[in-house]
Amino acid sequence: MSRRVTVCALMTWMAAFFSAPSLAADDAATRKDLTAVIALHGLPCGEVVSVKTQGDNDHIATCKDGNRYHVFLNSAGRVVAEKQ
Amino acid sequence: MRVTRVGGIVLVLMLASCGAVKPAPPGEYPQTGSAQAGPAAGTPVAPAVTPLSPPSPPPPTVATQGPIAAVASAERPTAPSMPAPASQAAAKAGAPATKAPTKVPAALAPAAQQPKKDVIAQATQKAAPPLDLTSLETRLKETEAIGVMTKIALKNQVDDLLDQFRAFYAGKLKTTLAELRRPYDLLVLKVLSLLQDSDPSLAAAIVASREAIWGILSDPVKFAKFAST
Repeated sequence: MSRRVTVCALMTWMAAFFSAPSLAADDAATRKDLTAVIALHGLPCGEVVSVKTQGDNDHIATCKDGNRYHVFLNSAGRVVAEKQ
Repeated sequence: MRVTRVGGIVLVLMLASCGAVKPAPPGEYPQTGSAQAGPAAGTPVAPAVTPLSPPSPPPPTVATQGPIAAVASAERPTAPSMPAPASQAAAKAGAPATKAPTKVPAALAPAAQQPKKDVIAQATQKAAPPLDLTSLETRLKETEAIGVMTKIALKNQVDDLLDQFRAFYAGKLKTTLAELRRPYDLLVLKVLSLLQDSDPSLAAAIVASREAIWGILSDPVKFAKFAST
């Protein structure tokens, strides 16, 4: 019984351990994407340090300089970056 | 005993993970980017309009610019057709092995390089493929160097610029072609800055097509044909 628990715990830990980098990669890609979008709009940011995803193509980006932007795709198909 | 074995496995996994994910240092891309952006990448970097005897910019200045070199070259459409080789030389300028040529007297160096530059410029002019907007569009859509939101934002800006040209040719916008060139250049620079590190071959293709695209935009007949398609 204890061996089963140990193996199960080890497998869970390994799954979490190996899936973490891929999640981090996705997050890094989103941050890079939003950094580029904010820069394209000519808004001050520097670099996006954290992202809160609210939905499809709808994010709250926090910048290195403290600025926060709501970046989303509006109904007209335009990417909008609104300062929060 | 079992605990020791499990502990050993965890330790090995942790050690293995230390060497697994290692992001490339940021300084690595520009060098490879500028190197690939050159003629070695198979796509000509030279702008469509290239003088035969261009003024030779000081290589050390370009050398220190690194990734900006490609953009800087893009800023000067009539500049020499050597942005990538210059940046390649620039990238290598830091190496001790390539420092030797810099000891050649300044009077001899340009004279020796001039024929070579002419040959390369002529070769790139001959090898320059016809403008393929469809291919460029497809490559821009498919490149992974630009994120989805950024691509949409760029498309918005391209559409805005095309609207400006439409309004200009319809007589609704009181401006000049020279003034419209500025937002066009700015937009190209934005695209290049996004591409030059992660997709240098596409950046080079855009640099090579830059004047040809402007040729379409600045000609009302060609623009009308383009807009209708």
